Amino acid sequence: MSEFSKIHLIGNAHLDPVWLWRWQEGCGEVMQTFRSALDRLNEYDDFVFTCSSAAYYSWVKEIDPAMFEEIKERVQEGRWVPVNGWWVQPDCNIPSAESFARQALYSQLFYYENFGKICRTGYNVDSFGHNANLPQLLMNAGMPAYVMMRPGMHENAEIPESAFIWKHRDGSKVITYRIPNTYAPSGSHSLERERKVYEDAINETGHGVMFFYGVGNHGGGPTKSDMNWMIEHMEDDGWHEMEFSSPDDYFRDLLVEMVDLPMWEDELQHHASGCYSATSLVKQLNRNAENELYAAESFATVANFIADMNPSNEEFAKAWKEVCFNQFHDILCGCSIMEAYEDVRHTFGAAINTAMKKYNEAALRIAGKIDTWLDGVSDPVDTCVRHHSAPGFPRPVAVFNPLSFDVEVPVQTYHPSSKVKDCDGNEVVFSNVRSSRSNDSHLDTVFLAKVPAMGYATYWLDEFDGDEYAPDSDVNANGLCMENEYLKVAFSNETGCITSLIDKQNGYDYAANGELAVPTVIDDHKTDTWAHNVFKFHDIKGVMALESIELIEDEYARAVIRTVHTFGKSVLHQDFILGAKQKTLRVKCRAMWSEQFTMLKTSFKLAGEDGINTAEIPGSFIKRPTNGEEEPHQRWADLTVTVDGVRRGLSILNDSKYSYDCPDNDLRLTLLRNVIFADHYSPRPEADFRFCDEGLQSFEYGIYLHEGEAECSDVTKEAALFNIRPNCVPMGYHKGSLPQKQGFVRFNADNILMTALKLCEDGSGDIILRCHETKGKETHCAVFCDLVEAAFRTYFEPNEIKTFRIHKDGFADELNFLEGIVSND
Amino acid sequence: MAFPIKIPKTLTRVCEIYNKYAKKQIPTELKLAGAKKPDLSGLDIPLPSKRSEYTCSLKKDGVLWLGATTGLTRYDPNAEREYDKIMYFSADRDLPDNHVKSLWADGDAVWALTETGASRITMVEYTAEELGDILRAETKKYVDRRGMVTQRHLTVPRVKESKVPYNHSDNDGCFTASYAMGEMCRFHVLKEKYGAEDERVLEARKSATRAVEAALLLMNISGRGNGFVARTYVTTAEPCPDDGLFYKKQGDKTYVVTTSDSIHKNMVGMVFDSPCPVPDRLAKLYRDEGFTDDDIIYKGDTSSDEITTHFVNIWMAHEILGPDDPELDELLIMSGTNTLNHIIDNGFVLRECHGKPTTWAKWNIDYFNTSFGWADACLNSAQILMYLRVMMYVTGQFEGKWNDTFNTLIAQGYDKLPLKHEERFHMSSMISMADSVEEMMFGDHMLATLALWPLILLETDAERKENFRKAFKSWNGTIRREHDPGYDIPFLAACPDAYVDSEMMIDWFRRTNASRLCSGCDIDSRKDIARRYRFGGYKETSALLPPDERFISKYDRNPYEWKTEEGGMTQIESCYVYTFAYWLGRYYGLIEE
Repeated sequence: MSEFSKIHLIGNAHLDPVWLWRWQEGCGEVMQTFRSALDRLNEYDDFVFTCSSAAYYSWVKEIDPAMFEEIKERVQEGRWVPVNGWWVQPDCNIPSAESFARQALYSQLFYYENFGKICRTGYNVDSFGHNANLPQLLMNAGMPAYVMMRPGMHENAEIPESAFIWKHRDGSKVITYRIPNTYAPSGSHSLERERKVYEDAINETGHGVMFFYGVGNHGGGPTKSDMNWMIEHMEDDGWHEMEFSSPDDYFRDLLVEMVDLPMWEDELQHHASGCYSATSLVKQLNRNAENELYAAESFATVANFIADMNPSNEEFAKAWKEVCFNQFHDILCGCSIMEAYEDVRHTFGAAINTAMKKYNEAALRIAGKIDTWLDGVSDPVDTCVRHHSAPGFPRPVAVFNPLSFDVEVPVQTYHPSSKVKDCDGNEVVFSNVRSSRSNDSHLDTVFLAKVPAMGYATYWLDEFDGDEYAPDSDVNANGLCMENEYLKVAFSNETGCITSLIDKQNGYDYAANGELAVPTVIDDHKTDTWAHNVFKFHDIKGVMALESIELIEDEYARAVIRTVHTFGKSVLHQDFILGAKQKTLRVKCRAMWSEQFTMLKTSFKLAGEDGINTAEIPGSFIKRPTNGEEEPHQRWADLTVTVDGVRRGLSILNDSKYSYDCPDNDLRLTLLRNVIFADHYSPRPEADFRFCDEGLQSFEYGIYLHEGEAECSDVTKEAALFNIRPNCVPMGYHKGSLPQKQGFVRFNADNILMTALKLCEDGSGDIILRCHETKGKETHCAVFCDLVEAAFRTYFEPNEIKTFRIHKDGFADELNFLEGIVSND
Repeated sequence: MAFPIKIPKTLTRVCEIYNKYAKKQIPTELKLAGAKKPDLSGLDIPLPSKRSEYTCSLKKDGVLWLGATTGLTRYDPNAEREYDKIMYFSADRDLPDNHVKSLWADGDAVWALTETGASRITMVEYTAEELGDILRAETKKYVDRRGMVTQRHLTVPRVKESKVPYNHSDNDGCFTASYAMGEMCRFHVLKEKYGAEDERVLEARKSATRAVEAALLLMNISGRGNGFVARTYVTTAEPCPDDGLFYKKQGDKTYVVTTSDSIHKNMVGMVFDSPCPVPDRLAKLYRDEGFTDDDIIYKGDTSSDEITTHFVNIWMAHEILGPDDPELDELLIMSGTNTLNHIIDNGFVLRECHGKPTTWAKWNIDYFNTSFGWADACLNSAQILMYLRVMMYVTGQFEGKWNDTFNTLIAQGYDKLPLKHEERFHMSSMISMADSVEEMMFGDHMLATLALWPLILLETDAERKENFRKAFKSWNGTIRREHDPGYDIPFLAACPDAYVDSEMMIDWFRRTNASRLCSGCDIDSRKDIARRYRFGGYKETSALLPPDERFISKYDRNPYEWKTEEGGMTQIESCYVYTFAYWLGRYYGLIEE
């Protein structure tokens, strides 16, 4: 223990802007708390106040500029310490890596612009778990230190107590402080009790500690009586010295204490295992917004360079800030009050709407410059012209692919066709499929499109004329069995589950251990919305019964088997869609759910040994034991086992789910969780409670098979394609400067994935390109960005995230999330 | 690829520069070749220059040479190795300046006319061993100074014959000993291949012995008789540098030379005893040049870098040269014994004549508990344990003082300290709250390698050996990205289960320059790499450039450093960076001929 070892008093006010109240009240809570904190600062000369979340400062700046000026003065004095260069204290498992980048970008720029400096300490004291890639996400945000609290020691005693070095696979490290007990004690009784905890901690660890105090959750902060108690006891004999301080100062002192800290190279879980599946609505909106914003920003950037589209940074920033706000842990974890989710619909909706409008503008601007002119197409005709097509002429459609790799995937347009050709005149596989409308022909066209990375391709559709067409399709269906080049899947007509799932590359049947995709209902009445103190959900209430099963499509472009299952008053429709040339079996689900206190899982039990569970986390992946604990994840979870000496894996992809478990060899995606809104350790008095996943639920999951370990497969790319699909834009006939097919960004390594293509926030017009390594291996790679004739080589550590700022002259800088606008000063 | 690796023959660039004063030697055909902007539309590969900057082209034997206002690009679409597809030539190393105006093929050579001269470029095929021989010959001719090989300055840029007749380096001991290790390995490998009496083997043995003797001389030159090791020495025929504490020998006394440092430390005129004669076999290195013991001026304030390398040198020399050269072996043992005892008897420091420890040679707990020493402890603890293990091994004295000392240090936790390197380095580097790479001492990578490699191989306790391996692997976390065989080969020798990128190793050998002349490469004009900004503003390249396209350095620099110019063509570095790695690889069977 060094002379520096002391108790740092961290005066704070934990502010939940939404939880058991809506954001409007949360906003008021912020105003009152900040006023109170300023008053305390005026009254007590040495007092230091710590507060996170740029969203709160942004509210104050807008609503009470005078108070904001007072805060700025205190920040300059070093007595008001903004921490956490993120917009809010988000959930730290559900947002994508790109969301974390935006949390940092918009917040640190706000702090830099208003306070002249950025936050150096990450701070998520209430978030319910922390993904293993946070060290990298924090370092990229300019924050080499981190404060967290959950899970507590009673939930996970393996994580080091107090301070430790937290490291991720890419090599990033942050010095982390785990609050031992609570962030919000107030009143002499609580303070005395907590002081003992900290005194023990300092004696045990041999280094200084942080003592968090101040009324929290609904704001408040340190009270006068708290302050008086602190001052009275600061230099008590027999106790370590206490000092008003901040997390920044604490870490500065800790670094020079010369104490060996333990190293932790894993995630920080679990606290609230139920919250990654509760309230599916907010999860779906989150994923939807992330996907739409990615696609929109990418093509808006392209359109800025090649189609005169004005920069849209402000609109995107506004949309992202809505997303960032809704990623606040009590919102995104689905544990706020029901009314809050009305606000969530509106705010996420606004963000998504912005994205869709921008995407549309970009696509139409680019499409308008593609040369689609056909001689004779403007000649006068004497017939009824519909569907943008001139009689006798094929209709051009541009297919936009926002992903950074070439794709070959079925896409859908709203009209029937008799023939589809690519821009080189080759016929492509297509089908006329049932549309969602009831009038007209009832038919849409699905065709197999090949589109270059981050680019577009033009296809030509002829109108439906009833001609027979027999292309060379790999899709074949018969009875309750369907297959393509990669997969063969068969279903039981008794249970509606998969009885055979064959990887045609090697002939192995993944259903060797019994049926797959078993819709399993879990009894979940013993816990609250968070599932406090419950980490496994294994009480099976029953398996859904099959009502019907039918091959509803047997086409060249795809085959579809529909199952309908029931349980009590609930119904689950599943369309198992096998597309031409597709490695993933898509399952489009529609549930009408009524079962209260239940969880619905789809179960895939595999035969084999040495099971390893792997799952995507933000910007990376993690290996977990198959111990059956409910786990958070992103777009895929996987179980890989050894069968006859060969490693074989099954991954479940999803478009909006974040929770799964893997008891032994059973990989189970959690499809919904229907518990009471904001039920926090309550005795559940008799009342007409509303349930968070009641009613219509629409979502998709996918099944992907591979040999070898999950991370060595293409599962991340498949999951990206599963979430971000090419978009069809019907075009007119016009001359143009652009070719009918073109790509703009690509990498020459298949394990590098782009996660953002945008314009720099400083208005320079420079391009920001963010990407990351997906397979956990060192990679040498070339990056091509044809928008500005940039092509350069780079090197990735395993799972490393890189942000490039590409100048208009093609030269590139590699920077962190802050785009080179903020430096370490 | 599994080890051992085979290094394919490499095309090495040899560039003859003709400046404006050598116009007559520039072929007229080149001047008349003219320039036509090349069509680059089909090239789907990152190019070093902007496409608009390319001015001329030349196709020769399926290879496209592209001249630009920012250097010269060689594009070989059929190159077997990705690294070889694009090669970049720039001033000052390959061109007089970067504005290439025309190109002309003359037999095997390609001529590039630039604004201020021309360059005649030939791509010569060498084996890795041949390349090592070329570099060694350059070192012997231009760098060697009484057996010491570090670097040599030139009075006329690029003209090696203009070498300054004297030189010194703070790290003469360190670099000479490392050179000696490569030479010893070369001797051993050639002896296995050709037999002891082969002419090549005899030459290799002579060269290795000379280098070992030069290193040992520094361990004995002070004559203090207490194992004190000198950093370097000059003779009275050379200017005495004013960069630290220097001592002049006079009979059995030594006095402190007047330098800024000695004035500052109030040591001018200080005289102390130096009664021990320098062993004749070692003194021969300067006596053969006509100098006497009294002509020697040596430098003190020696650091742990030198001590560490000396002990590894003793270990290897005992192993490779000792069996056939008992006199040398005796000198090795005597030198190591004196120095190790000096360290132990002085409380685990190297103590200067004024009674204080030298600045950077401290291995005791008191130092480890200082703010500087806390992070150093992880390295220095491994060093002192290695010294002890080496001396126990070479003397066969596994009981007694050294073993007791070893056990005492173990009891104090010295064997656990190396395991804390990653954590302590991170903690100490974060004091600046920037980025740990910005705080990295890249020279420590070699020191860690030299300390842990013998320590692991000589450790007899299985659990401790495994802990040392873990420590080496934790160091490798930061070393690995350099893809430098000088680190990777000892690492593999000590940790055979570890992963090393063999392809990158092959490219390192294949793309090393055929000269160690410190001439700069342009990097600012390069468009095919990104500038990586660390958070504190430190600038790196986003990809590792091949050695022939980056600055020349020893094992002490960040190869990713964004640095355009180095040396001004007025310095030649020694070849040991290459020969140490190559011959050690051959010695351990990790590289096949």
